[in-house]
Amino acid sequence: MVNIRLSLRPVNDFIKHTIHNNSFLLSASRCIFWEEEKALILSDLHFGKTGHFRKSGIAVPQTIFKEDMQRLTAQVQYFKPGYLIIVGDLFHSHANKEMELFLKWRKDFKQLPIQLVMGNHDILEKDWYNKAEINCCEKQLQKGNFIFSHDITDCEDAKDCYVFSGHIHPSVTLFGVARQSLRFPCFYFTKSYAVLPAFGRFTGMHSIEPGKKDAVYALIENKVMRVQG
Amino acid sequence: MNKNSGLVNAPTGCGKTFSVFLGAVIRFINDHPQNYQSKKNNGLQLLWITPLKALAKDIGRAMEEVIFEMDMKWRVGIRNGDTAVNERQKQKRSMPEILIITPESLHLLLAQKDYPLIFQNLKIIAADEWHELLGSKRGVQVELAVSRIVHLLKTRKDNVSIWGISATIGNLEQAKEVLLSPLNREGVIIKAKINKKIVVHSIYPDEIEKYPWAGHLGLKLIEKVLPIIENSRTTLIFINTRGMSERWYQSLLVADPGLAGAIALHHGSIEQALRLWVEDALHDGKLKAVICTASLDLGVDFRPVETVVQVGSPKGVARFLQRAGRSGHQPGSVSNIYFLPTHSLELMEAAALKTAMAENIIESKEPRLLCFDVLIQYLSTLAISDGFIPEIIFEEIRSTYCYKDITPAEWKEMLHFITEGGKALKEYDDFKKVEIIDGLYKINNRRIAMRHRMHIGTIVSDASMKVKFLSGGYIGVIEEWFIARLSPGDVFTLSGRNLEFVMVKDMTAMVRKSNAKKSIIPSWQGGRMPLSANLGMMLRRKLDEAGDDNASKKAEEIKVLAPLLDLQKELSHLPKQHQLLVEHIETKDGFHLFVYPFEGRLVHEAMAAILAYRISKIRPITFSFAMNDYGFELLSDQPIPVDDTNVYELFSPENLFADIQRSVNSTEMARRKFRDISVIGGLIFQGMPGERIKARHLQNSASLLFNVFSEYDPKNLLLRQAYAEVMEQQMEEERLRNMLERIQAGEVIIRFPTRLTPFCFPIKADSMRETLSSEKLEDRIRKMQQQLEDL
Repeated sequence: MVNIRLSLRPVNDFIKHTIHNNSFLLSASRCIFWEEEKALILSDLHFGKTGHFRKSGIAVPQTIFKEDMQRLTAQVQYFKPGYLIIVGDLFHSHANKEMELFLKWRKDFKQLPIQLVMGNHDILEKDWYNKAEINCCEKQLQKGNFIFSHDITDCEDAKDCYVFSGHIHPSVTLFGVARQSLRFPCFYFTKSYAVLPAFGRFTGMHSIEPGKKDAVYALIENKVMRVQG
Repeated sequence: MNKNSGLVNAPTGCGKTFSVFLGAVIRFINDHPQNYQSKKNNGLQLLWITPLKALAKDIGRAMEEVIFEMDMKWRVGIRNGDTAVNERQKQKRSMPEILIITPESLHLLLAQKDYPLIFQNLKIIAADEWHELLGSKRGVQVELAVSRIVHLLKTRKDNVSIWGISATIGNLEQAKEVLLSPLNREGVIIKAKINKKIVVHSIYPDEIEKYPWAGHLGLKLIEKVLPIIENSRTTLIFINTRGMSERWYQSLLVADPGLAGAIALHHGSIEQALRLWVEDALHDGKLKAVICTASLDLGVDFRPVETVVQVGSPKGVARFLQRAGRSGHQPGSVSNIYFLPTHSLELMEAAALKTAMAENIIESKEPRLLCFDVLIQYLSTLAISDGFIPEIIFEEIRSTYCYKDITPAEWKEMLHFITEGGKALKEYDDFKKVEIIDGLYKINNRRIAMRHRMHIGTIVSDASMKVKFLSGGYIGVIEEWFIARLSPGDVFTLSGRNLEFVMVKDMTAMVRKSNAKKSIIPSWQGGRMPLSANLGMMLRRKLDEAGDDNASKKAEEIKVLAPLLDLQKELSHLPKQHQLLVEHIETKDGFHLFVYPFEGRLVHEAMAAILAYRISKIRPITFSFAMNDYGFELLSDQPIPVDDTNVYELFSPENLFADIQRSVNSTEMARRKFRDISVIGGLIFQGMPGERIKARHLQNSASLLFNVFSEYDPKNLLLRQAYAEVMEQQMEEERLRNMLERIQAGEVIIRFPTRLTPFCFPIKADSMRETLSSEKLEDRIRKMQQQLEDL
């Protein structure tokens, strides 16, 4: 049987992308390390999604969730960020047992502050986030002249700031001759805003249609590859 | 019928329905000679399983007429997706003596508490149109339900009798075996002695050389169909695909505007009410002709039509016979069927069909094996109603044909899947579906039970969208991907009408009437059946005869095709039965390799990929493919290294399985099969009213599930089933192997024509382009990127 297994050894491949004189290292593990701020930026983890399905009687293997957590740990250990910025959809739905694994992880990294910009899937009780020591922002977070907002269409007037967003789970389709095509998750940068790929791997993808001046970095197997821009 | 079981075989329209029904009535009369007329509320006596909802009403009506004539108190009930709630309640309180039901609805009955009570007086199970259900997953549903009922009634003095009703197929014995399997009885086959005389007339173009060598829907011969319609009281025009039927309908109206109002369109995507109207109007003589596709193949027994026209090859003898049988219904009368070729070489298929019919070479319907998706659904169904005990059910399903070879390990895995949810992180898991209480497997969670109830019977994943006028009124259904490609303002045709696409609202495509001259004809996936093995073999035989100057009686069609066949012989070669023709042709497009096995499109698709892979091991080379039912083509920008020294190796059955894995994109094919399998197996949430957040959070794609399973649970039974289905159905692996063995035992003829030949033309025209690259994924991406940059 042809196996499409992707290697999940902690991957340290990354490409540097500069915005407003700031260095952003785009990691093949679906996150961004902001060098100047020492912040790890990620989005759309959807933790608990596999558990949510299983609770409803749909037998999705949980291993993918476990590996998502392992990948997060590996990235934190590699980049050693001062804090995390999660641009929405940290969790998927109501609480379930998988969150306990997350809480266990949270204890191991108690000293790492987490800033969460709420996304449409972040519907847990305020209390829960307090207990997990996650700082929440309802709408958007601003750091210097960068803004972090879950859904770019909800973002209020950004003025000269550059916006980082998620929500879409962007993917890019690469076409070859004779209708051959392949789809990959990607980082998408326009002149004024960026869309992060979904960090969680049990997520769907949505194709984007980049403009000629946009920058797109596809995540292919263990590597980040610049496709355009 | 003497409490026996078996199969009743007869062509359409010979009252085979009545034979079994009357059998049930007679048995009742024999059991209650004194009071058979006054006895009422006798509980279910006859369970009538039928594949089509549409037929139920007609069959029911016919049965009620007989009961009325006999002055009995029996009641006939219909149970399917359309049955109203209050009707279901009535049936629950007191079951009618006859229940006409679809396989899905039968499973719904098994989901009711205390369902065994329903069947306690059941005497006969009838499986109507069994040749249609056999070989499909709905047929497997029937097998499972039958196994349950038979075992429920084991302790009774006489178990239930099972009767299948089937048109003629190549494997009637096996068809009987599959249906009767749980009874463990031989049973009998009752054949109708009626020998229908079928006369096939081919429609010939005036000049064969000028007739297109490639498919064009046959519209060039439309003038010849007009007198046929004119001179016949009622005519059925069979077209192979829905898209083509829409084109034909419009073209007929243009060719003879006088036909407006006298002809109608009938296919599976047209709204039901309209289809029913067409069926009735044809019967009443209000319509002169109906253009239809296979949806009319499942004939209601008793609707005589005078003439049948078949446009394009029906691709199989059984299908052809069923359609021919729709005409001249009066016993003893002759069935007239006209064959209209959509390209010249198709006339050969007419000749092949005639001979196949005369020699009674009819295709078999292969039964399905080990459908784990249907089994999961069935176990969940039993778990909702009364629960089940694994040891008992294991024995029951092993008594069916489909699951006779299930291993205890596979069974254990099934149970594990529905109780534990397969692979899990134990401490962090909330999986809940079937629970085990004192050895009884049951679903106790109401929400999960409700969800499953709505899902029971799902066999096909529904990617269709309703089409509705803005002003109201349904027209039919279109596949979602087709609508996705349209922009507002685009005009397409459905049900014979030109419609302007406005927007999608609530999962419905909204349209308004359009007077536009040009419109897009929609297409439907899966409309094309490949040439059957029987017909392919017969075709090779006909070609053999055509090339034989000494052959005494050549078919009319072969004689008409003489100029074309002579040209083929002159430029290249006319293959004999035991020969495989291979043509090397160079054009400005590049180097072409044409191969003509006559084994049907699916086998050719697989063979092209395998051949390309094997050649690329000799020299790295990229190909483009094309194929049709007669053969396939490889196209490259370099000369293709196939010659006398290596051709037998390239067409060898050795290492076939491994080469298929490496060459055919079985992953993509398996992904597509997995879509349906995951829906049937209950892995895709189908949505329930009133469950807002939860519903959104459970939306998922089968493709994502496929990836997750492939990576984390590659031995999963449903995933393996997807790959198995690709092998069996997509690539017809057995047929592929037989073909290669045949080639080894025969002769390969290689020719180097200086120009394109009549044989290769249809392939070039009727093709799908696919590119195989022998390079790695990353390199392929870089290449694609390079090409983008070079543009």
